[in-house]
Amino acid sequence: MKRYISMTLLIVLCFVAQTSVFQHMELTNIIPNLLVCLVSISGFMYGRKFGMFSGILCGVLMDFMYADVIGISIFIFVLVGYLNGIVNKLYFKDDLSIPLLAIAVSDIIYGLLYYVCNFLLRGRFQIFYYIGRIMIPEMIYTILLGIVLYKLTCWLEEKLYPPQEVPLAKGEKN
Amino acid sequence: MGDRMRKKTKITIDPKYILAVILVFCIILGVVSYRFADKLTPIRSAVGNVVTPMQKGVNTIGSVLSDKFDYLTTMKETVEENKKLKKELAELSAENKLLQQDKYELQNFRELYDLDEQYAGYPKVAARVVSSDGDNWYNSFIIDKGTEDGIRKNMNVMAGDGLVGLVTEVNKSYAKVRSIIDDDSNVYGTLLKEKENCVVSGNLELINNGVIDVTGIDGNAKIKDGAEVVTSQISDKYLPGILIGYVRDLKKDSSNVTQAGYLSPVVDFSSLDMVFVITEVKDSKELEEMLR
Repeated sequence: MKRYISMTLLIVLCFVAQTSVFQHMELTNIIPNLLVCLVSISGFMYGRKFGMFSGILCGVLMDFMYADVIGISIFIFVLVGYLNGIVNKLYFKDDLSIPLLAIAVSDIIYGLLYYVCNFLLRGRFQIFYYIGRIMIPEMIYTILLGIVLYKLTCWLEEKLYPPQEVPLAKGEKN
Repeated sequence: MGDRMRKKTKITIDPKYILAVILVFCIILGVVSYRFADKLTPIRSAVGNVVTPMQKGVNTIGSVLSDKFDYLTTMKETVEENKKLKKELAELSAENKLLQQDKYELQNFRELYDLDEQYAGYPKVAARVVSSDGDNWYNSFIIDKGTEDGIRKNMNVMAGDGLVGLVTEVNKSYAKVRSIIDDDSNVYGTLLKEKENCVVSGNLELINNGVIDVTGIDGNAKIKDGAEVVTSQISDKYLPGILIGYVRDLKKDSSNVTQAGYLSPVVDFSSLDMVFVITEVKDSKELEEMLR
């Protein structure tokens, strides 16, 4: 339960940051996608259900605040959370490669789906332009901040659920 | 680990099915929100009323900090800057005189073309940009004035002398503005001198070069680069006579019937801070009745 509350707070915080502070910290007109990071992190750290929970939250924030048609972002975020939940099996806390890869792939998936849902359907066919101009730079920026967010989440996890010594059962030998 | 195992046995629904349910739910939600956009506003404002004050607070802290930081810049820099600014001021005042002359000229043209009801005469409310769209795809933003300050849907938004966009959604204390450079935006415009109609549409691909699309100009019209485009009388949401930008590089379409090219907006969209909302909504009832 604590985990859900802390993730909710983190998502709201990142949403506010992404829409206000990061608008002034753009590099080559690109802002990082912190929400995809968080959805991805909650997916591979805690599994499919938690990933989908974060996805719904992020999607609702994005859609209700900025989108004209509600539902597209929610679904994309939920799908990203679900896919990352599958990676949960491969995840080890000390290995940084899975988190980085997962965040990068998630951001690309988010970008591609967003392009298909909102641009391709309106007849904007220059997919490679959008990949080169928006998705790739956004991915790089997102990965950089993703590391920070990932470390923050790990730290929070340790604070909320301190690793306890498991008392050995009587019959067990050390 | 034991904790996690217990949880798994307690809830037995496979996440696959949850995903499927969410997909169906999203599709329904999409259709509903598209069909009944107006009725969903209360739900939207429930989210906005929580988030917008936070964004506003963060922005205030940011501007206070940057103000303080500005004070700390060294005296030397200030003196140097002062010299530079004085020089610039001299240049600018000369330029201003020229512009004043141009303005008279413009006024004359406006009178000639019955565009005497200028944007200068419209009642306006100043508003501050609170936050921008959270991703890199669209160009809409939130301003800190809402219904309480007399903002209504479909009001026009300006910055300086140029058109910024349209209020697409209003809540109690904030409103959403879609800018004209948004990929989804289309504005009917008129070339001021030539009196030709055109359509100005935002384009995500072009805006990185500082321009947007302009299409649908009569193929036979001879138009110079730098011709002014203002909002048109025939637009149903935009008030007439607001400057949008200047056309350039017009070329004939493959159909040979119309011309298309680029338009550089007068407003610098990368650094929007204060905007003006014209508190007058274009009355398009007559137009709608005519169309029926």
